[in-house]
Amino acid sequence: MQALGAQSSILSRATGKYRVSVVIDRCKECGICIFVCPTKVLVKSSVLNKYGYHPPDPVNIDKCIGCRLCEYNCPDFAIYVEKVV
Amino acid sequence: MTRQIHPLDKHLRLERIPTLYCPGCGLGIALGALLRALDKRISEGTINPDKVLWVGGIGCSSRMVFYVNYDAAHVIHGRAIPFALGAVLANPDLLAIVTGGDGDIAGIGGNHLIHAARRNVDMIVLMFTNFVYAMTGGQVAPTTPRGVSTTTTPRGNPEYPVNAVKLVGSLNANYVARASVTTPHYIEQFFYKALGMRGFRFIEIVSTCPEIYGRHIGLRDPVEMYSELRKRVKYKHKPSLEKAEIDWEKGIVIGEFVERSNPSLIEILKGVRS
Ligand SMILES: Cc1ncc(C[n+]2csc(CCOP(=O)(O)OP(=O)(O)O)c2C)c(N)n1
Ligand code: SF4
Ligand code: SF4
Ligand code: SF4
Repeated sequence: MQALGAQSSILSRATGKYRVSVVIDRCKECGICIFVCPTKVLVKSSVLNKYGYHPPDPVNIDKCIGCRLCEYNCPDFAIYVEKVV
Repeated sequence: MTRQIHPLDKHLRLERIPTLYCPGCGLGIALGALLRALDKRISEGTINPDKVLWVGGIGCSSRMVFYVNYDAAHVIHGRAIPFALGAVLANPDLLAIVTGGDGDIAGIGGNHLIHAARRNVDMIVLMFTNFVYAMTGGQVAPTTPRGVSTTTTPRGNPEYPVNAVKLVGSLNANYVARASVTTPHYIEQFFYKALGMRGFRFIEIVSTCPEIYGRHIGLRDPVEMYSELRKRVKYKHKPSLEKAEIDWEKGIVIGEFVERSNPSLIEILKGVRS
């Protein structure tokens, strides 16, 4: 986990191909990203954000196929996927 | 200033993020898809961000204009379309994008919707159908399916709902499409297309309201509501208006129903087309 200042702590994991990052304090624990991920990369974490929600953690990052469905279906701009170059 | 991290952050008023939307509300999914389409147009140079104007009335859906990093007006309930009409008549270079709920656009604002479509006014109207008046606690809306119990129809809605796609499509609108928050790629694709056209462009976006509608129909969990909506949505390639079914039991048809190149109101007034 990297700390990027009060407003923007990021929980991020990467393989040689993709990095999945979660903006901890934007997440509302709706679970949609976990549901839409086709390879079950994401798991609800035990981290508690400043609003009392548990953001997802890309624990199974090795299985990520970079489809960005989690990013495109998150209602709160709280998760995004990058290609690792 | 809040640091930009998510790829859409530059299009958002970050000081207002997180939104006031309930956890798992579909409106945020739609907003992301809309901003990706706008981002693509802006980076291609086909849209000038300084000419973009978002207009919303009242309701959770209308409130979207509060979160975008563009010129925006938050006006009275049901009157976003006439406000946008005034703006484009005064400054025809503006690109007006109206957002609103099914109550705001098809209920209290229904008359404006009909006449703006009839006149092919240059604007994009994004109507979010969550089947109730969400912000005010789940009263029956013009789009509520028959039989559904809402705050004001505790024994089930006895009335027939409006099909906004069929209504607007029967008028003089240049573009009529429907997507769902469970298909963000189609929201992006249809809005991208609409952004490149003239005249009246209408996109109905079927959305999830787990907090209020979900409570009424027994789908309070955002994931359950999302997955139940996703099961009902059927994409069709350029379907006819007769196929524009929107029914919780029989299914919800999404796609691009109408594409025309009729002269727009601004083109007529400028005398460039008649
Ligand atoms: C003239 C007027 N009448 C009624 C209201 C109360 N009111 C606020 S939002 C709303 C309806 C919201 O429903 P909808 O437009 O479908 O948006 P949603 O919240 O579902 O996104 C109503 C009736 C109002 N603000 N102004
Ligand atoms: S990019 Fe696709 S595979 Fe990777 S975490 Fe997101 S949804 Fe799962
Ligand atoms: S979809 Fe977004 S808000 Fe919902 S749990 Fe995932 S990261 Fe959090
Ligand atoms: S009341 Fe419904 S539409 Fe409004 S923010 Fe909550 S879930 Fe979304």
